[in-house]
Amino acid sequence: MSTHAATASAALPSETSSSCACAGKALGVGLAGIVLTIIGLFVSDGHAVALSWLIGVSFWTAIAIGMLMLVMIHHILDASWSVVLRRQFEHGLAAFPWLALLFAPLVIVSWTGSHDYIWNWMNPDAVIHGGHTVGHDPLYVKKSSFLNLEMFTAMTALCFAAWIWLSARLRKASFSQDADGDLKWTFMNRKTAAFGLAVGAITLSLAAIYWIKSLEYHWFSTMYGVWFFANCVRGALAIGVLMLLALYKRGDLKGILNNNHLHSVGMLIFAFTVFWAYVTFSQYFLIWNANVPEETFWYNLREITRAGEPSQWKYVGMLILFGHFLFPFLFLLSYKNKITHSRIAFIVRWILLMIVIDLIFNVGPALKDSHGEPLPFLSLNLLWTATSIVGVGGVFFWAYLKSFPKTKLIPIRDPRITECLTHHE
Amino acid sequence: MSAKPYGLIATFDTTPSVYHAAEQVRDAGYKNWDCITPFPIHGLDKAMGLKRSNVPKFSLCGGLLGFTTGMSLIYYTSAVSYPLVVGGKPYFSPLFAFPVSYELTILFTAFATIGGMFFLNGLPMHYHPVLKSDKILSGMDDKFHIVIESADPKFNLALTKALLEKAGGKDIQELEA
Repeated sequence: MSTHAATASAALPSETSSSCACAGKALGVGLAGIVLTIIGLFVSDGHAVALSWLIGVSFWTAIAIGMLMLVMIHHILDASWSVVLRRQFEHGLAAFPWLALLFAPLVIVSWTGSHDYIWNWMNPDAVIHGGHTVGHDPLYVKKSSFLNLEMFTAMTALCFAAWIWLSARLRKASFSQDADGDLKWTFMNRKTAAFGLAVGAITLSLAAIYWIKSLEYHWFSTMYGVWFFANCVRGALAIGVLMLLALYKRGDLKGILNNNHLHSVGMLIFAFTVFWAYVTFSQYFLIWNANVPEETFWYNLREITRAGEPSQWKYVGMLILFGHFLFPFLFLLSYKNKITHSRIAFIVRWILLMIVIDLIFNVGPALKDSHGEPLPFLSLNLLWTATSIVGVGGVFFWAYLKSFPKTKLIPIRDPRITECLTHHE
Repeated sequence: MSAKPYGLIATFDTTPSVYHAAEQVRDAGYKNWDCITPFPIHGLDKAMGLKRSNVPKFSLCGGLLGFTTGMSLIYYTSAVSYPLVVGGKPYFSPLFAFPVSYELTILFTAFATIGGMFFLNGLPMHYHPVLKSDKILSGMDDKFHIVIESADPKFNLALTKALLEKAGGKDIQELEA
């Protein structure tokens, strides 16, 4: 163990400079993406670009939430195998304040612009399908104490505040332990995790409902928060694997990361693939079985046109079914695919792409033409979604890389580090 | 009873000694042999040159069988044997067959895994020549053993004995068949 620790600290000075250079590059890429998205606001449909931005911010916030939840799950279960991975997640948590900043334009435009710029229920005068206005819609009136601009702003602020605060606590305790090795930090993190998991579960459900689900405020689904959580964790694990492999390739984690770590994290990705499918299928199956129009319309919008023809969204749904579940499921059954670097790197990139498509599937059809028909999937909006993902992603990795040199490569004084370094099947 | 012994058993005092001896026996090309240790030694499978278990193949077959059983069961009962319109749904849809297929996939996978494990490791085994030796008692307590079977194509009483001695084995004995 002492040799590992020595290598880790010896490698630190050189990392500091190179990760700063990378951080600058990441910020540059991020700013370029943001600038392109802003250009999109002027050359394209503003509503569409705003929704693309929502997808971009939600995607990276989901990944950060997944990291937060996984760090807390790690602490509450006293897991030893994931100590090395946990440190990468802790660096990722540094992105929360920046994600809050990047989310802010959506709130600001809802206050200052026409209130229904993104979420139509924010404007009581917005005309909905059938000639009514939102303010006279019984389904809105019943939900109005929850769905109003003040509540939306307060809850979004509360969610980000909770995530930032939990992240700061977890990071402080873990980084302080690197310096003094005091066990009290481990116990502090365990306590943070005990209440933090409940806080995290509630806030991430609130975020999913307010940001994404309320785009169709008529709809009902009790599974929505869980669906979002499944994507959060899948995204976090995928980015975590990419971080580990990048550090291994650069040499930092040589002799630290072994096949058993990858096998374990691969099994977890597999488990959450099944979990995602279970939740997503349950949501669809219950709605399909009950066949109540208040619920089925959400899927009808994503399957058929008003003329009854299959729309593009139907094939996107099919892609999600087979690409987000079946393919990763079959791929990850194999031991070799979990431990071979190139193969696990491939599947986690694939999963990340599928999470983006899953988010587009949930957000995109909120954009409708004058007949209330969702705009097709294949459109210029995909470009703005890409620029938003790159824009927010660049800022995310900038925050990660800025946090990276602040402490040791791995938590060398964590009481479970020896168990982690000798992790076996 | 033939004079040919079942095999040779050697005793080792420490975990590293049996681990390195296993590497030497592996490198000598033996196939029919085993280690007896009082507790699991991590990495010993690699030192012995063992491949990964074949049990997952049984699990996969069980899972596929379970899934198809579930789908066919629902298809046969609701679309062939007794077609009935329920809730305006089609006679058969993979959607409502899915929960049943899913559960049967898990159930059959579990059965196939347990069954495959017993099939591959040959348990329950009521008799094994090693049990005749009093060595097995120390092998369950504080000593480590390597047993090389005479069924191994490379087995040669004198040469194998020499190999075990060279590997640091003590108290090498022939096991009665």
